[in-house]
Amino acid sequence: MIQKKVCLLGTSGVGKTSLIKRFVDQSFSEKYLTTVGVTIEKKTVELDNNSVSLVIWDLAGDDDFQRMQTSYLRGTSGYFLVVDGTRRVTLDQAMELQKRVADQLGSAPFLLLLNKSDLTTQWEIDEARMTGLTNENFTVLKTSARKGAGVEEAFTTLAQRMLA
Amino acid sequence: MRPRIFPGSRKPPPDDLSELRRLIARPEQDGLRELRERLDDKERRAHDVAKVLPEAVKLSADRSEELNRALRPAVEGSIRESIEKRPQAFIDALHPIIGPVVRRSIAESLRTLLQSLNQTLEQSFSWQGLKWRFEAMRTGRSFAEVVMLRSLVYRVEQIFLIHRETSLSLLQVGTNADATQDSDMVAGMLSAIQDFARDSFKTGKDEALEEFRVGELEVWIAPGRLAYLAAAIRGNPPRELRTCLEETIESIHILRGSELASFQGDAAVFASLQPELESCLRAQYQPKKTSGTNHRAWFALAAGAALLVAALIVGAGSEMRWHNFVRRLDSAPGIAVTQADYHWFTRSHVAGLRDPAIADPAALAQAAGINPERLRFEWKDYLALDDPSVLRRFERRFGKPASADLTLANGVLTVSGRVPYEWLSRVREEGKQSPGITSINEKNLTVTYDPALTLNRFRARFPMPSGTHARIDQGTLYLSGVAPYEWLAAVRTGAIKLPGIQRVSEEKLQVTYDPKLALQRFTDRFNLPDTVNARVQNGILVLAGEGPHAWLSRVRRGASTIPGINTIDEHNLTDLDQQTFQQSKSVIESAFVYFLVNKDNFATEGFAALSRLPDEIRRCITAANRLGLETQIEVRGYADAVGTETKNFQLSQRRADAVRDFLVKCGFEPSLFKPMGLGAPAATGAALPNESDRRVGFKVVPKS
Repeated sequence: MIQKKVCLLGTSGVGKTSLIKRFVDQSFSEKYLTTVGVTIEKKTVELDNNSVSLVIWDLAGDDDFQRMQTSYLRGTSGYFLVVDGTRRVTLDQAMELQKRVADQLGSAPFLLLLNKSDLTTQWEIDEARMTGLTNENFTVLKTSARKGAGVEEAFTTLAQRMLA
Repeated sequence: MRPRIFPGSRKPPPDDLSELRRLIARPEQDGLRELRERLDDKERRAHDVAKVLPEAVKLSADRSEELNRALRPAVEGSIRESIEKRPQAFIDALHPIIGPVVRRSIAESLRTLLQSLNQTLEQSFSWQGLKWRFEAMRTGRSFAEVVMLRSLVYRVEQIFLIHRETSLSLLQVGTNADATQDSDMVAGMLSAIQDFARDSFKTGKDEALEEFRVGELEVWIAPGRLAYLAAAIRGNPPRELRTCLEETIESIHILRGSELASFQGDAAVFASLQPELESCLRAQYQPKKTSGTNHRAWFALAAGAALLVAALIVGAGSEMRWHNFVRRLDSAPGIAVTQADYHWFTRSHVAGLRDPAIADPAALAQAAGINPERLRFEWKDYLALDDPSVLRRFERRFGKPASADLTLANGVLTVSGRVPYEWLSRVREEGKQSPGITSINEKNLTVTYDPALTLNRFRARFPMPSGTHARIDQGTLYLSGVAPYEWLAAVRTGAIKLPGIQRVSEEKLQVTYDPKLALQRFTDRFNLPDTVNARVQNGILVLAGEGPHAWLSRVRRGASTIPGINTIDEHNLTDLDQQTFQQSKSVIESAFVYFLVNKDNFATEGFAALSRLPDEIRRCITAANRLGLETQIEVRGYADAVGTETKNFQLSQRRADAVRDFLVKCGFEPSLFKPMGLGAPAATGAALPNESDRRVGFKVVPKS
């Protein structure tokens, strides 16, 4: 079976770990995320005529206190930029992050996930901004780790992109 | 003969001559032309040199060092330039070579080291040393080698082949693969840890975490350019294992280098490397025996015999331990062993009866030095009724206070020492339900009371009014604040009946009284007459109306002892008996019995008074009795002033006696009356009409 390394990137608290928890119910250990800065989980995605084993690296959130260790990105076949839809600033930070990792990851496919889509009343990212992103050739998906909306789709889409 | 040529001749020679020349010189000319062309054409020249160059170099090298010297600067320069510009190519090229070279060199130095170690150890004559020396002789190894081997016992449990770039697991082999997490996650985490270590300690890019130890497990990492091996090893692995791992990763790079370089996530292609990885799944428990000379066989035999003897000793020892265990098990309370079989190789078997509440055979086995895992128990449950078992069951159920002593004999449980009340009361209630206990003897028992628990009991029995506080210290209940009398009254009688309370202190307690309840208490006690109204106000019992004297005096004496009543206000209350007494007294004292002149016979109008007198006297005496007065009635006889004084005294005495006699005849006690002859009233100084002086009057006086 094909295996692919996948990373989740984004500011602290955008819901990376929650997305993974929603997607896989199998965990290496939550402890490492605080000590080494990464936990690794695994899940097989069934595509139409193929199945891919995703080895998912949950990197500690990137923020002012803790820089993401870019060495963990090595060998990544695809990645998610995770954004908290209720905090517009996390989108800007995700764009910054994308520029930072673009060198290392080259043309690896990635998806931009606007997480916490269930919190519609606190939503801060307007349609115009989303259209702008789409025009910049970003693939944007709304997800909700709490409700599960869009999570499966996000991982499946990325898996398809990596095999294409 | 060389042909002669005349290039400058312009003059055409005769035909035959030129023809001849042409015939003779032509081959020469063609060869010459070809040579010239060859010298002029660079490419052809290079071709020609290339053909002879290897031979030339060989010849030249055979002959002298000249060529080497000539070539050195150029070769050195080109290598240097190549390394500077494309180091990776060199690294790739050298990688398979350098490994073995370095290993060989290390192996060489180790051998030297072993030899010096050998010499050092040869000086030692410890028992261990002798044993190893014996083993070295037997196996044909060097002494030092044996020493090393004996101290290195290990097992490679798992090996992962991990792709360096993607951190994905390519292949995993191992002895207990099930016990490990998913290999991809392990691989990822291993890579992360390596990166973490490298980043944290800022080591060079190519320096890697080579090993780390987790408890008994050591993880060794054999790095390669494109992939690395991670081996999980239990125990102390020898260094030669690292060599094995390094050789393996090298050979993997040689076998599958291109697949590793172009790895896109499909690890299937690496499955064929399993034998390579498995070659490193080594284990070493003890040095292997080697068959050798007769000499060695003898030693092997002797060692075998020694082993057998040792096994027998161990076996005998373990059988002794077994019998010891079975004996102890059988004598343990709550266990009756009916069958016990010792098995040398399988689990030994014990069957019998067991009281599950008491006995713990596994713990007994542990205590006897026998691994409970090696035992197969087969118990039928029963209720043990021997004293130790009963006592143990009792202790399990009720616990045993630290400073209490429990003994059991013939079903009588004797409790002595100090025990908490709660424990004791539970034991009193339920103790006899414990099978095997018929009665409980509380000899020399001191019961202790926990103040908090005692207070809880008190609160449960006497719900605390708001404003009242209670605490318990040394058996005394201290009350403070404000409390209604009725609650307090209940507490006074009830509290000391609660266990743990001997006294009640109310020093700091202010008591409040409900007037209605105080009145109720009053009426309950004194049967309020219909003619009396009563109410209580500010501690004062206000009485109004008329009441009998006896009741009133009881009230006076006792009312203030009623809680909530301090004093009595009886301004509006009339003492009925006093009233009657006074009325009768005045009726009696205003009655006169008149006499005939100079006679002690009653005059006619005297009878009227006399007829009313007995009733009145009766009323008076009754009232007086009720009032607690002892009275006497002075019967005062008078005479008119006619006649002598002496005669008048005598007459008046006779008259008084006559009235007394009359009244005695009416049923009164004679002692009630005090007849007095007072003579003529003039002696008293009063002037009365004559007939009025011939009379007897009355005065009610205290009995003298």
